[in-house]
Amino acid sequence: MSAVSVTCRRTLGRLRNLLSTGLSVAGFLAASAGLFAYRLVEAEGSNQLVTVLWASATAPFLPVLAALLGMAVWSEERRTGRLDDLLSTAVRERDFVLGKVSGVFLALLLSAALSLVLCFGLLAVQAPEALSNVRLVQYVPAVAILALQAALWSATAVAVSAFSRQAFVAASITTGLLVALPRGFWLAAENLAPSGRLAFGEMPLDAHVVDFASGVISSGVIIGYLVLTLLALFVASKVVALARFPGRRGRLFRASTAVAVVLAVVCAVVAMRLAVRLDVVFDLPIGAPTVVSPQLQNLLSEASGQVTVTAFVSRKDPSYRPLAHTLRTIKRQSDAAGGPTLTLRFVDPRWDLGAADRLVRLGATESSVVFEKGHRVSVLPLADGFGDGLIATALRRVVLPPQRQDIYWTVGHGESSVESYDTRGLSDIARELVRSGFRNRQLDLLEVRSIPADCALIVVAGARESFSRAELSRLDAYLRGGGRLLVLMGPPGESGVSSLLPSWGIRSLRPSFAGTRTLSGSDVIVSDFAVHPVTEGLADARLVLERPLAFTASAAAQGGTGVDRLAFVSVARVATATVVAAVERGSAMGADLAVRPTRLVAIGDPTFVMNGQLASRANANRDCFLNAVAYLAGTEAVGHAGTSAVQLMTGMDRMLRARHALFSVVVLPLAVFVFMSLVVWRRSRRT
Amino acid sequence: MLEVRNLSFAYRRTPVLRDVSFVASPGEVVAVVGGNGAGKTTLMRLLATVMVPDGGAILSDGVDAFGYPLRYRRQLGYLAEDPQPYEDMTVKEYLAYRALLKGEPAKRVRRRVSEASDMCRIDGLMRSTIRNLSRGQKKRVALADALLLRPRVLLLDDFLAGLDHEMRDVAGAVLSEAAAFSSVIVTGHELEDLARWTTRFVVLKGGVISTVIPSVGVEPADLVARVRGALTGGES
Repeated sequence: MSAVSVTCRRTLGRLRNLLSTGLSVAGFLAASAGLFAYRLVEAEGSNQLVTVLWASATAPFLPVLAALLGMAVWSEERRTGRLDDLLSTAVRERDFVLGKVSGVFLALLLSAALSLVLCFGLLAVQAPEALSNVRLVQYVPAVAILALQAALWSATAVAVSAFSRQAFVAASITTGLLVALPRGFWLAAENLAPSGRLAFGEMPLDAHVVDFASGVISSGVIIGYLVLTLLALFVASKVVALARFPGRRGRLFRASTAVAVVLAVVCAVVAMRLAVRLDVVFDLPIGAPTVVSPQLQNLLSEASGQVTVTAFVSRKDPSYRPLAHTLRTIKRQSDAAGGPTLTLRFVDPRWDLGAADRLVRLGATESSVVFEKGHRVSVLPLADGFGDGLIATALRRVVLPPQRQDIYWTVGHGESSVESYDTRGLSDIARELVRSGFRNRQLDLLEVRSIPADCALIVVAGARESFSRAELSRLDAYLRGGGRLLVLMGPPGESGVSSLLPSWGIRSLRPSFAGTRTLSGSDVIVSDFAVHPVTEGLADARLVLERPLAFTASAAAQGGTGVDRLAFVSVARVATATVVAAVERGSAMGADLAVRPTRLVAIGDPTFVMNGQLASRANANRDCFLNAVAYLAGTEAVGHAGTSAVQLMTGMDRMLRARHALFSVVVLPLAVFVFMSLVVWRRSRRT
Repeated sequence: MLEVRNLSFAYRRTPVLRDVSFVASPGEVVAVVGGNGAGKTTLMRLLATVMVPDGGAILSDGVDAFGYPLRYRRQLGYLAEDPQPYEDMTVKEYLAYRALLKGEPAKRVRRRVSEASDMCRIDGLMRSTIRNLSRGQKKRVALADALLLRPRVLLLDDFLAGLDHEMRDVAGAVLSEAAAFSSVIVTGHELEDLARWTTRFVVLKGGVISTVIPSVGVEPADLVARVRGALTGGES
């Protein structure tokens, strides 16, 4: 058995026998699990990988744990005079250092593994949905980057410990060096010299974790960590060797050591510069495989020419990796389909200042994708998501001739306004429709004699007051003539167009939604969908209805009317309650293609696409609404969920989240602490 | 054979050892004695290569201690002045750990530990946690550690301190047994005890060897008197 492994085992054994180790590990588990639980809530419904969340929640606490576990590794030997016992054995200083670093490193790795098991084990029990998209291969790069960082933290902690006789001093210095210094530097740079900070980009330690865990493996980063770890090992070995030179020769040895350390630092800097310059990046297929929708495939096969697609987004942005993945997939698809030649560019607003300036002049904002073909430009803000349906829409605007359709929004009955930017307004969805090639117009049915001929569809968005008879008869006439209507049902009872709908097969219900899945207690989560263009791509997603309203949907007395129940929930007494339904009449008259079928979509929530609802990405309401618009307007779907990357859905309501936080932050770390204390107590009871 | 040539050492500007030279042959037990601050512990730490001297050389069977330190240290057993074995381990665990650290193959560790514990009469303590041992018992454990691999050079710094009379007899027996395979260098202030087992006294005064007194064929009482005389300056 080599001296390194013997020392490593001894270091691990020593750590196991300390009560402070149990306390440190339990604290680490609680802190990382707490941050993980917090980020899980924050990222609900986003495209982030749960493994990325775990790695980025664990990484900040690893250096603190390294400082606590490594503080006594050498300082205790020095303080007790036990160093003589070690130095008189036939073992090189570097082997001792390597053994002790390995011990601390393994302890860190075990703690991180424990955090992984606890976090994901708890999630598997409480929210298995969140892990449904996680594959085993996703853990590998996340653990790999933590291991690389842990090696550097352990080596640094042991090196600092070799300098000091007091463990507490060593821990303080290590924490300052590994935590306070880099973060303080970044904070200071951000506030005092933002222009200087541009040269560095984002906080590297955090970015490395996110990049690796997302599957972006950089050879430069790996080499950087290894070089720094070797440097720390070298310094630690030299410091330990200095203990042999307290005499006159020590002066010479100290001078030669200082020169050697300086040379080592220079070599390390050169090696890291080279590693960054010759960096090779591997993009592992970590996320769910990207599937290009049929709409986008059609577009790619129909279009031609040279299109430049620029992702104007910081590498720090969590959507950077999935976006790059999606764009690359689309480019491959375009090449395969013989479609337009897509040139992909990635412009980081913090690094590529010239390119960023040009994009801003084109009207792009940070965190957006810019499509350019000749003079035609289309900008897709990432805040709206980047499902390939949205990308298809943006692409269509630059590769196909422009076409506009008008959507009329009724007013005068307490409907939400497309011009309102507050949480009860509809400005977000209206903007999205404009980007998708529609024009939003207001329609006061009392002021018009008939519905305008250019009307692609009418939207009644949560009218609180009933429509007048005249209005209803105009609407009815419009529908009978092949009109299209999208209704976000108003409050229960007589409101909006509720009196018109029964003749189209839709009747309001007042079921109790008790017992259904909910986030806040008053809302309803819907995840059961029928196959229909309106629900396309929603199979793995969910709708959230803040003020749910159910209705029965059945074929009306009028012949030729087809009623489809599209989304439903199980409720007491009513078996299932429909919350989204579509009505189509006239499609059977297919013999005469000139006849336009009437279409009507009813959604049981007046707040369905209000700004406040869309701000939370924990639902697919936007996609469902856009699908409905596309279905009614007779265009291709303008955006739907589930085609680009994994949607993080825990499905936890408030109570479950609280329980999850309690278990992950308090119960499980406490259990680990109690277990480790029992081990220490059992050993201490031996005579 | 351990050969010390012109060894000198100074802490900053304070000289501690000057031109110290002596030889310890196999089977010899050399006692280095001197008053407080005479340089005994410094000498032992230099011999153990825990510190590097300012000048001079140390050779064990021709192996230069600072030219080939690992080869030299493989021949070495060292008991520090105030040994601090790891307190969270049992005696058995500690000795096994030390044997492995010194490079003993794992399959021979049990035998080595058993031999050393027999020699130092600590069989009954093997399962005890070191934290719970007395100072004397800890010293015997550390002595067993020094003897683990039957070293050719055995350095015992102030090894009788803290031992009661009974234990000193045991230590004496260990010393005699160890002398069969080692050149033994001991330091201490217990002249009466040392006189019974040593073959030679080296008297250190002010960092230099003032006297070397052979003890073979001399009555212990006379020997102690001569050594005392040398220490107080009566004999040169």
